[in-house]
Formats: sequence, C-alpha cells, structure tokens
Amino acid sequence: MELYHLYQNNYLVVLMFLLLGILLPIVALTAGKILRPAKPTKEKQTTYESGIEPFHQSWVQYNVRYYIFALLFVIFDVETVFLYPWAVAYDKLGIFALIEMTIFIVMLLIGLLYAWKKKVLKWM
Amino acid sequence: MIEELLYSSPSLTNTLIFFGLGASLLMMVLGFVTYAILAERKVMGFMQLRIGPNRVGGPFGLLQTVADVLKLLLKEDTIPKAADRPLFMLAPVIAFAPAFMVLAVIPFSESLRFSDIGIGLLYYIAISGISTIGVLMGGWASNNKYALLGGMRSAAQMISYEVPLVMSVIGVILLTGSLNLIQIVEAQENIAFLFVQPLAFVIFMIASVAELNRTPFDLPEAESELVAGYHVEYSGFRWAFFMLTEYVYLFAMASITTILFLGGWNPVPYLEFIPGIIWFALKFSVVVFFLIWLRATLPRMRADQLMSFGWKVLLPLALLNIFISAVIKEIWF
Amino acid sequence: MNGELILFFVLALVAIGSGILMLNLTKVVHMVIALVFTFLSIAGLYVMLSAEFVAFVQVLIYSGAITIIMLFGIMLTRHDDKTETKIGVPRMILVLTGIVAFFVVMFFQINDLSFGEQAADLHVDNTEKIGIALYSKYVIPFELTSVLLLVALVGAIILAKRDDEDKGAEDNE
Repeated sequence: MELYHLYQNNYLVVLMFLLLGILLPIVALTAGKILRPAKPTKEKQTTYESGIEPFHQSWVQYNVRYYIFALLFVIFDVETVFLYPWAVAYDKLGIFALIEMTIFIVMLLIGLLYAWKKKVLKWM
Repeated sequence: MIEELLYSSPSLTNTLIFFGLGASLLMMVLGFVTYAILAERKVMGFMQLRIGPNRVGGPFGLLQTVADVLKLLLKEDTIPKAADRPLFMLAPVIAFAPAFMVLAVIPFSESLRFSDIGIGLLYYIAISGISTIGVLMGGWASNNKYALLGGMRSAAQMISYEVPLVMSVIGVILLTGSLNLIQIVEAQENIAFLFVQPLAFVIFMIASVAELNRTPFDLPEAESELVAGYHVEYSGFRWAFFMLTEYVYLFAMASITTILFLGGWNPVPYLEFIPGIIWFALKFSVVVFFLIWLRATLPRMRADQLMSFGWKVLLPLALLNIFISAVIKEIWF
Repeated sequence: MNGELILFFVLALVAIGSGILMLNLTKVVHMVIALVFTFLSIAGLYVMLSAEFVAFVQVLIYSGAITIIMLFGIMLTRHDDKTETKIGVPRMILVLTGIVAFFVVMFFQINDLSFGEQAADLHVDNTEKIGIALYSKYVIPFELTSVLLLVALVGAIILAKRDDEDKGAEDNE
C-alpha cells in the first residue's frame, strides 16, 4: 500500500508542476496586461516581412522531405519504446534477449539503409 | 522530509505542500534563468574580449537581466492582424508548461528531490517532446514566412536529434536496469557513467545541444537568414516565455546530463565531506559553462550538414553503442 | 479516493471535449491541436490505471511523434483551407439515435463486465514487467512488429519519392 501511495504522490507532484507551468504564463501575462500600454495601429499589426509590404500567403505548401523525416522519427521512436523495457529487464532476460534485439535493430537498420540509398536522408 | 511526504497517504495537505514546493522550485529556476542569461553574456563577453553588461547593478551588471525582464513586462503586446489569434496566444504556454514539468523528476541530492517516479527518464523524454509542438504552433500561428520556416526547421531539427538522444541513454539504462533517475545516480556510486559510456556521452552532448537549438545548431533562429525564427512576430512577455522555455530547458538538460553521466550528487573520491548538493551544483555549472563556451566558439552548421549528421552519423553510432554496452554488460557485470 | 474521482472526471471531460472540438473546428491545424489534448488526457487516464509506462509511451508516440507527422503532412497540402460541411436534419436525428443506442448498449455491457482477478501491484517496476513479458512470452509478435515497421518505412519512402518526382522542379520553401 505504501508503494501505491508513493505512486499517487509522485503524480500529484507532476500534476502540481503542470498546474504551475500553466499558471505562471497566465499570471505573468495578466499582470502584464494591466501594466503595459495598448495602442494598436494598423501599421503595427501588419505581418513583418523585412520592411516591405507582405505579399502572398505565408501558409504555403512545404516540401515532402519534412514529412519523410517525421516518418523516420515516428518509426525510430517506436523502436525506442521497445528498447527501453528491453534495457530495463535485460538482467532478467539474458543473452537470448540480446539476439532478439539484434534481429529487431537489424530490420530497422535495413530500413535506414534503404532510406540512405534512396537519398531520402539528404536535405537538399 | 520530502521522502516521508511521498510515502504518506495522499491528501489535500500533501497537495498544497507539493504546490508550495513546486512554486519554490519555480522561483529557483527563474533565479537561475536570470543569472544564466547574465553569465552567458558575461562569459561570452570575456571570450570575445569585451566587458559585457556592466552598468545596471554594479560593475558586474548584476541587475541587467532583472531590468530586461521589467522592460519586457512593460512592452506593448502586438498580435498581427493576419495571425491566428487563439493559437498565437496558446503557443507560448504549450512550449513553457512541459519545460517546467520535466523538472519534477530531477533529483538534486539525496534529500532534495520532488518525486520518485519509476520511469523518470522516459517521463523526461516524453514530456520534453511536447515543446516541439508549441514551437511549431507559434511559427504557424504567426502567419509569417520567416516564422513558419523557422518553426518547421526547428521541429525538423528537434525530431531528428531526439532519436540519437533517446538511443544514447539506453546504455545507461542497461547498466542500471532502471529508468528511475535516483537509481541511475546510485548506480554511479563507484564510477560515473562518463567513463563507462564515453561514446554515449558524446552523442548525448551533441544531440542535447541540437535539442536546445543552441550554436552550432541554432539554424531555427539564424539571425542572418530567418531574422529570429519562429518567434519573429512575438513581442513583450509572450516572447519572454519562449526565451524562458529555452533557458529552463538549458537548466533541465544540464541537470539530466549531470545525473546520467557525471554521477549526480555523488562526490569525487576523498572529498566526501562536501555535501551532495554542492557536488551537483558544481557538475551542473561545468555543463552550463561548457554550453556557453560552445556558443562562443563554434560557427553555425549548414542545414543539409545538420540533417545528414544526425541521421547518418549520430544514429548509427547510437545503435552501435547499444551493442557495445550489452557486450560490456555480458563480460564485466 | 475522492480526489481520484474528480481527476478522472476532469480528464475524461478534457478527452471527450477535445474530441468533439476536433470534429467541429474549421481549421485543420486547430483540429490537430485539439487531438493533442485528447491524447494527453488519455495518457493521464493511463497514469490513473497504474500503467505509467504505457501512459508516457502514449505521450511520446502520440502527442509527440504522430502529431508532428500530422502537422508536417498538413504542411504538405494547402493548409489555409477551411472545411465546411452541412448535415441535414434527418441525418442528424439518425446519428443521434445511433449514438444513444450505442451508449446504452455499452453502458450496460460495461456495468456487467467482470475482469476477474485484478492485478494489484502494477505500479511496482512497471517497465521491467513489461520487458519480461514482451521478450519471453511475446517474442514472435515483437519480431513481427519490426517487419511491420520496415514495411511502413519502405512503403512511405516509395510513395514520397514518387510524389517528389511528380512535382519535379516546382519546389516550395
């Protein structure tokens, strides 16, 4: 039961930290609102574009390479999720787990090599 | 004291005490940020043969940052007409809240710790990932070309270096057999993991500098090409929160480096009489100084170099390190 | 126990509320952000169920990685669009009755459901237990996961590459 209390208290602390993390911006920005001047003009509220009048939309289509990097990120993040419990439980599992993990990582390395060969990892 | 509190039955009193403890840590972190910014400017000043801030608050400019913060508080807050208002206002909060939340798991010494979470390291990594969304949101909501480009670059960089970062710590987890940061420090009683896992340490340091968006990986904020990156349109205190986020992450990242690789509060042999918290502070300061030093020394990388370095060099090295660690563990432990 | 109940209702409310918000917002990026809040509150619910590892995996994968991939996916398209859907009254009534019927069926079924013996100490060494189960009992599914991930990666690269070649020189950014 004591360990369960520890668990609950831990996340109570996390909750309090979350609360503080949200409260600080709210309090600071409200305080700022009272203190700071507010004299909006049309010029002030235009979008900044190095001094010239902004033209076109800025919400344009981006290159596909961003998407591929995000995809690689998801796949390797999922791999990490499998690696963490493996590393924690390694003591109890022994050499067999190492072989299992080798197969797993080699599979993903093939994927990485394929991406490399297809020149997806190049930014330009 | 905190130890007993954590094992007691949760109640409203506990909640209030935790809130108080959290608030005091928040104040401490704000103090750190104030003086870290000053230290950064001073150290960089000396490295570049300048004096740095020296007017406000005595010859060392001790009140310079305080004055800056006050000025920011009194600045007008402009939100561009074209911006997406709700997201523009939400973005700094989404960036800042996780930055402070990650500090909940960091143990500063045997007695000074705020929680004892079993999956501490995973908690740190998972929560710190949310800030990326805040940055990307800030860039998108501004509806500004520089801001969106900066936000996209920033997000791409952060995700690319998060992978080697999380892979490099697996060696540490393997040797400890736990994700709990307190147990990780206790496992380093005899020898710091810096000496057992040198490759992991190098990968971790490089990746953490990239995660912090600091030189030589400060492309998202490259002044000469992107003006200021994702926060171009932000002014006043909203801007200050993005800045604060960066420095709180500096605090968190330096702490986690100290814990994972430098042995946390464990003393150097023969100097055990110095209390743990001072050891922690010392090691922590060395890491912070190192990060400032890097900024004053290195030029900025090119975008293509940055991405291919992360995926083609750091990631394979991190994977290699996992096997080296497993073999080391099989042989010696 | 009282505080636990309040927390549960707050998290459930945020999860459902953000879900509804996601369906009703007009801008695509807003929808994704609403979805992040759903993911995060579901992670909170996992924490309450003593499944801390799963909870933070949820935060890492869903509210971290999947959201970024969705946002980058949106950036690939024209993302200043607004969706406008009009639903007629008969269809609305049909949908509402469907939802009510589903709720009633689920409510009674869940009320009658019994899981038998409950694990009591899930919060102790959560990660280690998952590791042991995964790498001794569920080895084959685990190895198949790696094949699945590889297929996903290769497939995405092929699709993206073709897309890239179609576009050719017209390169934004």
